[in-house]
Amino acid sequence: MKQRALWSALVVAALAVAGCGSATRTESPSGGAQQKLVVWDWKSGEPVAAAYIEQAKADFAKRHPGVTVEFVAQPFDQYYTLLGTAIQAGKGPDVMLFNGGGQIRDRADALLPLDQYVAEDRSRLAGWDAFSKDGKVYAAPVTLQGHPIYYNKALYEQAGLDPAAPPKTWSEFVSGCAAIKKATGATCFALGNKEGFGIQFFLSGLGSGVLTPQEYDDWIAGKRDWTSPGVKRIFELWKDAGDKGLNNDGANSTAMFSDVFRVFQTGKAAHIIGLMSDIGHWNDFKEFLPPDKIGVMQAPVVTDGAAPSLPYDGGIGYAVAKWTKAPYLAADLVRSLTSTDALTAFYGKAGAIASDTTIDVSQAGPAVATIASEIKTGKPALHVALSSKTLDVMGRLSQQLLSGSTTVDKALEQLAASDRKG
Amino acid sequence: MRIAGPSSSARPADPGRAGEAGVKRRDVRAATRPFTRKARRFPRQARAERLAPYVLVAPAVLIIAALRLWPLALGVNFSFTGDGELNGTPVGPANYLELAGDPLFHISLRNVGLLVLLLPLAVAIPGLLATFIYLRVPGHRVYRSVYFFPAVLSPVIVGAIFNLMLGYDGPLNSLLGAIGAGPVDWLGDPGIAMFTVVGVHVWATFGMALVVFLAGFSTLDSSLLDAARVDGASLRQTIWHVIIPSLTRTIQFVFVTTMIGMLTSMFGLLFVMTSGGPEGATYLPEYYIWHQQGQMNRPALASAASTVLFVVMLVVGLLQITLLRRAGRQD
Repeated sequence: MKQRALWSALVVAALAVAGCGSATRTESPSGGAQQKLVVWDWKSGEPVAAAYIEQAKADFAKRHPGVTVEFVAQPFDQYYTLLGTAIQAGKGPDVMLFNGGGQIRDRADALLPLDQYVAEDRSRLAGWDAFSKDGKVYAAPVTLQGHPIYYNKALYEQAGLDPAAPPKTWSEFVSGCAAIKKATGATCFALGNKEGFGIQFFLSGLGSGVLTPQEYDDWIAGKRDWTSPGVKRIFELWKDAGDKGLNNDGANSTAMFSDVFRVFQTGKAAHIIGLMSDIGHWNDFKEFLPPDKIGVMQAPVVTDGAAPSLPYDGGIGYAVAKWTKAPYLAADLVRSLTSTDALTAFYGKAGAIASDTTIDVSQAGPAVATIASEIKTGKPALHVALSSKTLDVMGRLSQQLLSGSTTVDKALEQLAASDRKG
Repeated sequence: MRIAGPSSSARPADPGRAGEAGVKRRDVRAATRPFTRKARRFPRQARAERLAPYVLVAPAVLIIAALRLWPLALGVNFSFTGDGELNGTPVGPANYLELAGDPLFHISLRNVGLLVLLLPLAVAIPGLLATFIYLRVPGHRVYRSVYFFPAVLSPVIVGAIFNLMLGYDGPLNSLLGAIGAGPVDWLGDPGIAMFTVVGVHVWATFGMALVVFLAGFSTLDSSLLDAARVDGASLRQTIWHVIIPSLTRTIQFVFVTTMIGMLTSMFGLLFVMTSGGPEGATYLPEYYIWHQQGQMNRPALASAASTVLFVVMLVVGLLQITLLRRAGRQD
């Protein structure tokens, strides 16, 4: 009896040990001749980005022949969840892609300041602010992301409006919308606020027509007065637009990216505050709307003294992790990923407005030409200056404003409280 | 004494003597006693026998401890640290206080309560449909497979299908318009959205419960039904006085599994159909945890929410076990 028990115990123990043993990772000796950089992003898997990635890889390989670069494309839905886990563990990719604004600022602790590496690129690329925190740059911009107001020229023509001269003031804008509604049945705005993103686009897209330049700059600089008449006016416009039927029906259940762009493309709405890069931009709309039927207009002026400007920031950009073993190499990879050749390929295939201001965009139609011409005078978007916590609260409050379950004053109070906390 | 000699192993003798096992065990015990005076020769074996049970349970205990309890302890510990700049620093119960003051977390807990309230409905639907199939309503064979069909679809696909169906300009609202009723914003109205999602969840999962019910029916004594029929019982009376009492165990089982399903597998539907909206009305703790960790970059706060969810699930689970045990005793 005894020995049998002993044997079975030994066998079990041996199995357990063997099981544990095979589960442990066999670490290859590091510091070999072959160096490797790992990049995480959500772009490199897309066919439209293939040429861009190839170009960047080639550029990097020319300068560092011995280094292999591995791109790991993560699903965007899970990207920041996965990244959060990597950051928590203090190890993961050497280089990673970020959205500008809150997403990168919230995680700046885990990133390497790039100022000394990218000094040469500072003037060639635009959009650095979105990747900076406390005066330090944490990523190099790849695309610019902004919120131009696109309009459907065909609907303007049908309503007897001049598509070459979009409205300049809010009252012209609203009466134009009424004419379009009457002639074509299309609503004024295509609005998707299911995720609470609609308000962000609205705030940034129309904000420069409401706030004075001084108020605007203060807002970006962090001096935000949520009780000022200008800020209040923006949220009143949001509520009015909903109450007066300027939006498509069911805005609170219309998804921002898929559904709402379909509403605009199919001519059910005359205007949309869209994006410049990634998705929902001039290049995406062309499936239904030819490029010459898409116009870009400036924010209509709501209050006197406002100076409309294109709201844009750095869209996506590559950053270097603090824990990387080869900071110089990783930073150089970031430079390859933002080289003119690579970005030209990205612009050409994906239609993204790249951060490189030296790329020639004159071939792409009037909408792009308008956007490109406004980049010089453009300013950072209002919503990008807010923390992700405040944006989250704003999303829910915007839904309540549309459904009428809260008032503008109450909403602004909560937003001010959330903004103060940071 | 079947022991061959002092050097013999403790292994039972040839299998042919299995019938004598009881006798033999006593023999062995008796036989070991004389050896104790020579204990110096066998300390290894004695210790091995003492240790054997521990070694045998070790893998299970280790797996539970290393892969369940230890991470759980880490998670609870983590929930008492800060986020962002305070990463890793102990902050006491600050995260729990923040949860207590977060209206979004309140909504998510209230929605758990709502799910518990809707549970009887989610159990009654498959139960009733299974009853009809069992009572052989016309076409019952077709229904059996049709009802089960949605259970094989992933929540993401189900969510995408219903997103189209329930869109403001979708087919269901067109149908309502055709019969003269106004359109309903199924997923955009905070008062309706949660019921819509639960409805879709029940639609997608009731097939599994239906199968369990049908299995329960197969154990039902048909003579009872015949007797009821002979006595002239109506359908309602048959269900209430014959079928339900006979199926108590099955119903309890379905209750437990449906509850677990509702509390743990709604995430996919919520993610695809409402993103927690509108106005945060369809948040559940799981979604809240994911949102804080992945979107708001607040892993420690998410840990605190996970701990709360764990406690809630523990209480619900213990209650269910108690109920089941009490019911088991009645049988």
